[in-house]
Amino acid sequence: MRIRNWMGIALGIVFVALAGLSAHAQKAGGTLVMLVQPEPPSLASYQSTSGPIGLMAPKVYDGLLDYDKDLKAVPSLAESWTVSDDGKTVTFNLRKGVKWHDGKPFTSADVQFTIMNVLKKIHPRGPNSFKEVMEIETPDESTAIFKLANPAPYMMRSFGSYESPIVPKHLLDGQDLKSASIANKPVGTGPFKFVEWKKGQYIRLDKNEDYWKEGLPYLDRIVGRFIPDASTRTAAMEKGEVHYGAYGAIPNVDVVRLRELDSIGVTTDGYAMINPVSLIEFNTTKPPFDSPAIRQAISLTLDRQFLIDNIWFGYGKPATSALSSSYAATGLYAEGMPNYPGKPDLEAAKKVLDDAGIKPDANGVRAKATLDLIPYGEDWRRAGEYMKQALGDIGIQLDLRYEDVPTWLKRVYANYDFSMNVNYFYQLPDPVLGVHRHYGTDQIRQGTHFVNSSRYSNPKLDALLESGAKEPDAGKRGAMYKEIQEILANDMPVVNLHEMKFLTVFNSKLKGHDASGFGAYGSFDQTWFDE
Amino acid sequence: MSQTAKRLRYVLKRLLQALPIILAIIIVNFFLLHMAEGDAVDVLAGEAGSATPEYMAELRKKFGLDQPLPVQLLVYLKNVITLDLGYSFRHDMPVLDLVLDRFVPTLLLMVSTIILAVGVGIILGLLAATGLNSWRDTLISVFALVTYATPLFWVGLMFIVVFALNLGWFPTSGMENIAMFYEGWDRYWDIAHHLVLPTITLSLFYLALYTRLMRASMLEQAGMDYVTTARAKGLTERRIMFVHVLRNALLPVVTMAGVQVGALIGGSVIVESVFAWPGLGMLAFESLFARDVNLLLGIFLLSAMLVVAVNLIVDIIYSWLDPRIEVE
Amino acid sequence: MRNFWQLYKRNRSAVAGLIILVVVVVVAAIAPILFPQDPFSLAGLAMSPPGENGFLLGSDSLGRDVAAGIAHGAKTSLLIGLLATIVAVGFGTIMGGLAGYFGGKIDDLLMRTTEMFQTIPSFVFAILLVAILKPSINSIVIAIAVVSWPAVARLVRGEFLSLKNREFVQACHTLGMSDIRIMLGEILPNCLSPIIVIGSLMVATAILIESGLAFLGLGDPNIMSWGFQVGAGRTLLRSAWWVVTFPGIAILITVLAINLVGEGLNDALNPRLRERQ
Repeated sequence: MRIRNWMGIALGIVFVALAGLSAHAQKAGGTLVMLVQPEPPSLASYQSTSGPIGLMAPKVYDGLLDYDKDLKAVPSLAESWTVSDDGKTVTFNLRKGVKWHDGKPFTSADVQFTIMNVLKKIHPRGPNSFKEVMEIETPDESTAIFKLANPAPYMMRSFGSYESPIVPKHLLDGQDLKSASIANKPVGTGPFKFVEWKKGQYIRLDKNEDYWKEGLPYLDRIVGRFIPDASTRTAAMEKGEVHYGAYGAIPNVDVVRLRELDSIGVTTDGYAMINPVSLIEFNTTKPPFDSPAIRQAISLTLDRQFLIDNIWFGYGKPATSALSSSYAATGLYAEGMPNYPGKPDLEAAKKVLDDAGIKPDANGVRAKATLDLIPYGEDWRRAGEYMKQALGDIGIQLDLRYEDVPTWLKRVYANYDFSMNVNYFYQLPDPVLGVHRHYGTDQIRQGTHFVNSSRYSNPKLDALLESGAKEPDAGKRGAMYKEIQEILANDMPVVNLHEMKFLTVFNSKLKGHDASGFGAYGSFDQTWFDE
Repeated sequence: MSQTAKRLRYVLKRLLQALPIILAIIIVNFFLLHMAEGDAVDVLAGEAGSATPEYMAELRKKFGLDQPLPVQLLVYLKNVITLDLGYSFRHDMPVLDLVLDRFVPTLLLMVSTIILAVGVGIILGLLAATGLNSWRDTLISVFALVTYATPLFWVGLMFIVVFALNLGWFPTSGMENIAMFYEGWDRYWDIAHHLVLPTITLSLFYLALYTRLMRASMLEQAGMDYVTTARAKGLTERRIMFVHVLRNALLPVVTMAGVQVGALIGGSVIVESVFAWPGLGMLAFESLFARDVNLLLGIFLLSAMLVVAVNLIVDIIYSWLDPRIEVE
Repeated sequence: MRNFWQLYKRNRSAVAGLIILVVVVVVAAIAPILFPQDPFSLAGLAMSPPGENGFLLGSDSLGRDVAAGIAHGAKTSLLIGLLATIVAVGFGTIMGGLAGYFGGKIDDLLMRTTEMFQTIPSFVFAILLVAILKPSINSIVIAIAVVSWPAVARLVRGEFLSLKNREFVQACHTLGMSDIRIMLGEILPNCLSPIIVIGSLMVATAILIESGLAFLGLGDPNIMSWGFQVGAGRTLLRSAWWVVTFPGIAILITVLAINLVGEGLNDALNPRLRERQ
């Protein structure tokens, strides 16, 4: 059995390298105040991938692996790991001597319990990520062997602490997972311990003095602060009351102003793992959007660069396919897809509509519809207002609808009572995790959020998606996904709008917050203040 | 019947009258909230990213949301009688704990606002009334109206920009400095420091009301017979104005202030939002959009009880201050 | 009528208020002539400062004309204020009138209902109603009316209570007039002035509530209003102050004008003040 050894760089070497790189050593101490918006519903990252949970929980929990800036897996709770030749056995050698924050030892039983009883059961993406995991053997306390039904190369990208936190078996076993006390008071193995959650104000985490990484973390404390109003968040950042805000906590329009200040830094790094794309979902089962022509026409008409420039203030990239161009790195992204023009092409759009028999009436109106807008902030309202104007030009008359979150979720994903919906999806590091859920026939799951609500169904595409998920050869896989993207560009059940660039705004004194590929969802163990 | 016994009977009667009101508030809002599309589970699942219908059904069962509405209502009412306001679906905490936790900041903001608005309002109203129809009167009236008519959030944001950012006198937002975690007197001082801007912002809105009320009340009293009598007795205008008229003119202002403290218990969503003040207004706002029915009902219930209590206290104080008014 | 105007014009600020209000109404009426384009249309370069690129009051982040928005929005904001007030005053007058006129059990029931609505935190309740009815101009009007009517009901009840025992009403009873006729024909006309005063102030409050709701994201996305502009421009306050400031000023001076008019009406209609002067 040839063993492909993915053993990462041993941690000791990392430290030596880091110490060599920076002449002035990292200083320990200090309190980091970061914006957490909105206030999270809980800190149970094992059952919710909600953004604000992702900001706090990964500081408390560790994953089996971590990922560096190039999304390469590096050791975390697993010191090393091997994948068997047939891809069906993955063995993790766990770090010894790691303790939970309550003092109990961390063992392979925790890993087994976390994956099989928690993530596979109640995590939103876990059942998908660990679909092929049949059982986990624990021959000793520091070895966990994953037995897979089929090879699942994408699974190796799901072991980060945000996506798959390892949770303590002794606190969850035999409990009702949904109301266990660690949902609000997490107990992990990570660099920071949970101390206090003052509702409406902050979550406080203090340094874990017994952290298994020698000398880390640098910070004494992390406080996640809740400020509901965006303009106030900006002011607090300017004044230095908060040091860090990610995932659009600071509106782009303010970033344009703040990035000129010496005291503030701005980066778009740290979002490669989530890979967000904005889009329009269509109800393909009823007029007017049951016709691919009108969906193509919409894609041809919208000025994606206008959206990026005027609503996101220059941050973003026009979408050119069903897959984000960031998949170019793995060879899955295909260029030159039809119906994704570089500039809006109104003549082509009108021709497509005319050819399909969707002709204007006496008032120039070809179709009427209501456009639902994702209720996650003002930007999306602006986007809707733009689309209403732009699509009016080709005779598609829209009414805008902006409802609250529960109403909107119910309408789009449970009642299917919509015709056209603006939304955004995380494409995640692999299309199997983030893209398939949009298009597969098996993903038409009434009542489940953020899946195939267009109810698009194409057996040929389903077959391609299925083989694409399992194909280990990068070249063959790329060819399959090219075909998938061609089908989707022609059928257009979903029009992708733009590859979103989230912004992280930080105080210039804050260093090392970008150590992990997860950016803001990282553990912040190497974050420090240069004062 | 003695005066005390009469008062006691009055208090009891008022409390009994309040019961059906509070019950009606619960029932009306219960059904209103359930009329809305989606429930707490939809929100939680939506935020989580994705959840299977089976998982959502389990959660609904756990929250009791799978029961028919009348049953849910009865269960809720039964709990309320034993002073159990139930569990917040979203926060996974007893509603009472959550609400009490937010009650102190709300009270701080509201009481300081009313004191400031009433204090300044009385002075301005007095100045306006003593210079009736002069430029001073006009100026004060227009000033009061302008502060009332300027959108609250605009004032709030401007204050943050000017006083927190440019001048650096106050923190931008929040209730205390959470990098420092002060204790003892330092903490009280810190909280007071954080309280200044939200208090001024909110009191500007209420200032107009008290200024106008004070002015009108002063003018009303000035036309009363006792003033004529006092004048006939040869008292100075100054003395008449500041001793006799002022004292009587204050009564309606104080009453109004009392009533407003009650009405303001619900908090101010906009000021709390702009200044990240952890009050009940924002909690109510968030619980509405999270369909956290128990929590929102709990807030309504508590604020209703307080309004009733405060109104009652005001009435009793009023009857002490002004013996002409009899409690009946 | 002539007498009323004589009384009204004695209050100079009330006259100023009236003039401003008339200007606002005229602008609202001729908005389609002043700015024939859809106020939502992407008229030009985004975030143009006032006076540049052909925008009198500047443009917003999508390049929409702020001045056009204010002109078209005037109609919506005034309409919301007026409609909400009419509904609130109508309903409040009926409730208060019935309670005051009949007294007893009816009074008890209606007044407890009124108290119930006054006991719920009103702005939160308005938010709740808009959220449940879904944000649209109708739901905003309904929500504002629902939280405003109790004040009218209390006022009208008080007036009815004091008027119903007066001789002229007693005389009507003796003449065998029906209750409805007495209420509508005799008592109501006599308490119109306080109703008009409270109604005028309510229009102003309604405009403020609408902008507050819009600030919280609960406006009608399809109709231009000052609240919409303020809500859409609020994050631009520090980058493009004009986008939110001009609609804010429009709200300010309109609310101010309506209040001044209300005070003027009060002075002119209130018999006690009239006698004194």
